Amino acid sequence: MTQFSDERGAEMRELFFETAQELLQSLNEEALKLEKRPADAELVRSIRRIVHTLKGDAAACGFRELSNAAHELEDALALEAASSHGSLAEVAFAAADTFGSMLAAYRRKGKLPSAAPLGKMIREISREPKTKTGTKAGMKTGSTKVSKKAAAVAAGPVAWTEYEKLAIQNASSGGKNVYQVTASIDRQCVMPIAARQLVLNALKTSAEILGARPEAGSAESTKRLDLLLASEKSAEQLAAKCRIPSVISEVSVELIRAAAPKTRKTVVAEPAEDKATVQPGHANAAESGEEHGGATKAAHAPALAENILRVDAERIDNVLNLVGELIIGRSMLQQAFTEFARHVPKEALRGRFTDAMAFQSRVLSDLQRSVMKIRMVPVEQLFRRFPRMVRDVAKQCGKDVDLVMSGQDTDLDKSLLDVIAEPLTHLVRNAVSHGIESAEERVRAGKPARGTIRLTSYHHGNQVIVEISDDGRGIDAQVVKSKAVEKGLIAAEEAERLSESDILALVFTPGFSTAEEITEVSGRGVGLDVVQTVLHRLKGSVDIETRVGHSTTFRLKLPLTLAIIKALLFRVEQRLYAVPLNAVAEIARARESDVHQVHNYEVLQLRDRVLPLVRLGRAPGAGTAASAKIFVLVISMGDRKLGLIVGSLDGEEELVIKALDDQTVATDLVSGASILGDGRVVLIVNLPAIVERHSKHRPQQAEGVVSGILLSHADRKNLTEGPAEVRP
Amino acid sequence: MSLVRVLVVDDSALMRKLIPQILQTDSSIEVVGTAMDGNFGLKKIAELKPQVVTLDLEMPGMGGIDMLKEIMRRHRLPVIVVSSHSTQGASVTLQALSLGAFDFVAKPTDVSARMPQIAEELIGKIKAAAQSRGVRVRPIGEAPRTSQKASLDTKRTPTKVIAIGVSTGGPQALQYVFSQLPVDFPGTILVVQHMPEGFTEMFARRLDEICAIRVKEAQSGDVLLAGRALICPGSRHLKVKRLPLGDVAVLSDEPRVNGHRPSADVLFKSLAEEFGPKGVGVLMTGMGEDGALGLGVVKGAGGMTIAQNEESCVVYGMPKAAIDRGFALRVVGLDVLANTLLAQCAPDRRSTSAGESGESSKGAGAGRD
Repeated sequence: MTQFSDERGAEMRELFFETAQELLQSLNEEALKLEKRPADAELVRSIRRIVHTLKGDAAACGFRELSNAAHELEDALALEAASSHGSLAEVAFAAADTFGSMLAAYRRKGKLPSAAPLGKMIREISREPKTKTGTKAGMKTGSTKVSKKAAAVAAGPVAWTEYEKLAIQNASSGGKNVYQVTASIDRQCVMPIAARQLVLNALKTSAEILGARPEAGSAESTKRLDLLLASEKSAEQLAAKCRIPSVISEVSVELIRAAAPKTRKTVVAEPAEDKATVQPGHANAAESGEEHGGATKAAHAPALAENILRVDAERIDNVLNLVGELIIGRSMLQQAFTEFARHVPKEALRGRFTDAMAFQSRVLSDLQRSVMKIRMVPVEQLFRRFPRMVRDVAKQCGKDVDLVMSGQDTDLDKSLLDVIAEPLTHLVRNAVSHGIESAEERVRAGKPARGTIRLTSYHHGNQVIVEISDDGRGIDAQVVKSKAVEKGLIAAEEAERLSESDILALVFTPGFSTAEEITEVSGRGVGLDVVQTVLHRLKGSVDIETRVGHSTTFRLKLPLTLAIIKALLFRVEQRLYAVPLNAVAEIARARESDVHQVHNYEVLQLRDRVLPLVRLGRAPGAGTAASAKIFVLVISMGDRKLGLIVGSLDGEEELVIKALDDQTVATDLVSGASILGDGRVVLIVNLPAIVERHSKHRPQQAEGVVSGILLSHADRKNLTEGPAEVRP
Repeated sequence: MSLVRVLVVDDSALMRKLIPQILQTDSSIEVVGTAMDGNFGLKKIAELKPQVVTLDLEMPGMGGIDMLKEIMRRHRLPVIVVSSHSTQGASVTLQALSLGAFDFVAKPTDVSARMPQIAEELIGKIKAAAQSRGVRVRPIGEAPRTSQKASLDTKRTPTKVIAIGVSTGGPQALQYVFSQLPVDFPGTILVVQHMPEGFTEMFARRLDEICAIRVKEAQSGDVLLAGRALICPGSRHLKVKRLPLGDVAVLSDEPRVNGHRPSADVLFKSLAEEFGPKGVGVLMTGMGEDGALGLGVVKGAGGMTIAQNEESCVVYGMPKAAIDRGFALRVVGLDVLANTLLAQCAPDRRSTSAGESGESSKGAGAGRD
């Protein structure tokens, strides 16, 4: 028969880790429900099924410790005492955590955490019987075995075999007393195994040995010796015989059957004992009834529809890459065709070419959309973890918090999902621990004692929005401002000029707040700079909306996908750049003379608004005519607007983003590159970074206006030597 | 030979991947599909027309037992239960067997290390299931006996010591036979049923509930009593021993014989040694050849040897091996086996009699429908 290859084994374990994670997630969810509806039999069953599957899967992969721990819980859940126990949800949470850390340990082949504390909890709830609840009788079958097992482990009284019992009966009717001897073997004893033989030898002359544990030949090392003796001697005499110094430390001799025939006629009818706990026949009937009940309701794991394929993300990325190449190919073809059409304008085949290309183009768009769809996963996968987390954090802080989630079915690129998990977790945690006030404080403010955190997700244009809002104390811009000034993050007079939203944006500044200051300031700030950094890296953004005393909302905006964007192409200093089209609010035409300088910033009066400008290229030289035409791309990032001064526009294009490594472009101002149909390389401008650079940069008088931002020395060097040379 | 088409029904994504992988190691098996619960499973049966279904019993939505009932009612496909090693698991598994599941295997454990054994067992059972001609044993009604059993008379010596070796199809067959034996059955019975550890205790308990005779899982030192059957626990060997105060069962942990522990050969040989002509060896439905040689030893020692006939066997492997070697003195159908045993144990009779009239090739498979 075939061996199971290592590769297969590794693949299986990988799958296990993945599915186990889902099972744990379901376990957490069911436990949360159970916390709200304790002793709901259906939930208990569902939990048991999850644990059951986890047990089986772990066993298949050879992860015994996990399998055993799950087994213990599964068995306990079959007990009425445990399944109706008030703190079952607690145990389920603890189990999810313990299993989770065991999984992590298996995965990195590290040291396994002990499952003992969990085992203790399980045994505790198995033991304490609580008054009757709705648990079904079908559970009873399990109970007998577990309790029996427990008894065996506890090294209770020895179970003598039927034959030995027959011997007891026989000896007693033969006029002998039957004793049970329990001897503890001395810890100093050099050979515990030999102790057995020594004692037996000592007793040989005065008693008949009907049975002994451990049995002869057993290699089992034991601290204890159990003997069944028939003898005419007294208990004291036998005990004296057994006391062998430095071998036996303690002896107890118990008369279990006097020579006078007492009772115990049905010695061998031992099966009857077995049955006392089981209602003959009923157990199975009830069991099938239970199955019936369970059958109608699908309980665990948000049912993954059948026919779901688990595919390595890398494979999809490969397909996506190829689709990207095809799109480039399409552009090449189109360009070639345009040229061709110019050369031979009368060629009759042109119409057919045009049709064929339009058809190909349509299919290609469909293909692209389909592939993108494969990568899309509902944000629910991310949201699922929060109920448990909110519960835990709220509990830690002694707060009462409701989590309301909506829009879980909003799709998001899988790779984005993975990256925003951490920032989002951070924000949710913050909302519970700092956003929501204590119950007393809330009541004093006339709010319901129980705080509410809302987690919402929806599509907006080409973006996915994730909002975390709480109805807590809000963030006071004044406090933020004075804090920022005090910390030296911003000059006092400058602070006065900032709009409220600019001030709030300061909480994302690194070093704005540290853990100690949480309580003094309105409570945000720890690690918020990290949140922003991550979002920017994803070409997304984060902004805050707050009403002091009422609410705070963090809004994360993410691109639908990282891989393909619709972009606006433009030129700066003859070089080709692109920005995501959805970030461009409008395109304004102006002349150099329209550009004004305010506090060393260039601004443009655009209708009734003053638009701060960023000059991507060099500042106009002295010779430049004031009437020279310029284009201004009005970029909207969050609620901020910024104008980019560019040389000329070069049209719209669908771009397949190719990542650039740090060697190629040593700036964060460019987030990627793409290749056009004619082989030209276009660099994609990282707007959040530009906005950030603009707001951080405080030009000194001597420096003049901010300009050439894209063309710093390093950038220039790399741009000329770097990707511009690339030809497909 | 065309491929054996198998449908895998399991709620664990891991198992839905693993079981097909195991089965694919055999080129004569084709996994035509997988399903995650009973509803999907039934749809896939209709759609894919598998020959054999492997079934997990613990599933959300429509569970395994309900699905099994549907399969038995509508499709009559052989079902192999993939069963978990737990108290609940054992009890549900046995319920499944009595509902007509063909056989069961324990959920694979420690696959990387134990792949060959796991694959051999599962593949063997699937092939046997594919070859079986539908479900042979009529599912037996679950009506439990409520009447109190008389406590065992420890003084009554059994007239005969009956040793039964049985494998695939055994749970149903034993239930069928034992349920026909009277409470005062004069012989004592020892059973080696190929079954993994952890299931035999529940199996014995179930039989005890539905049969007049007492049934218990054997423990070392259990006395061989008239009117009682001892089932060998999984993963141990069962032997017999004559002692001054009575005859006892002895369990041992010797290595596997014929790949089996318990092995019927071990029991039969021990029966022959200790009881000679007082022993009765019975070899019933099952894959492989375990017990065939042992039955020869029983015969050689002067004991009676009985093999189940082909028509009533779910898998005609073990009895055939014994019959082909000429080790079976009688070949009887399942429906007359209980009577045959009664006749063998009748205290005042030596051998053949009216009770065995149905024996040999006459048997239209017992309970076949």
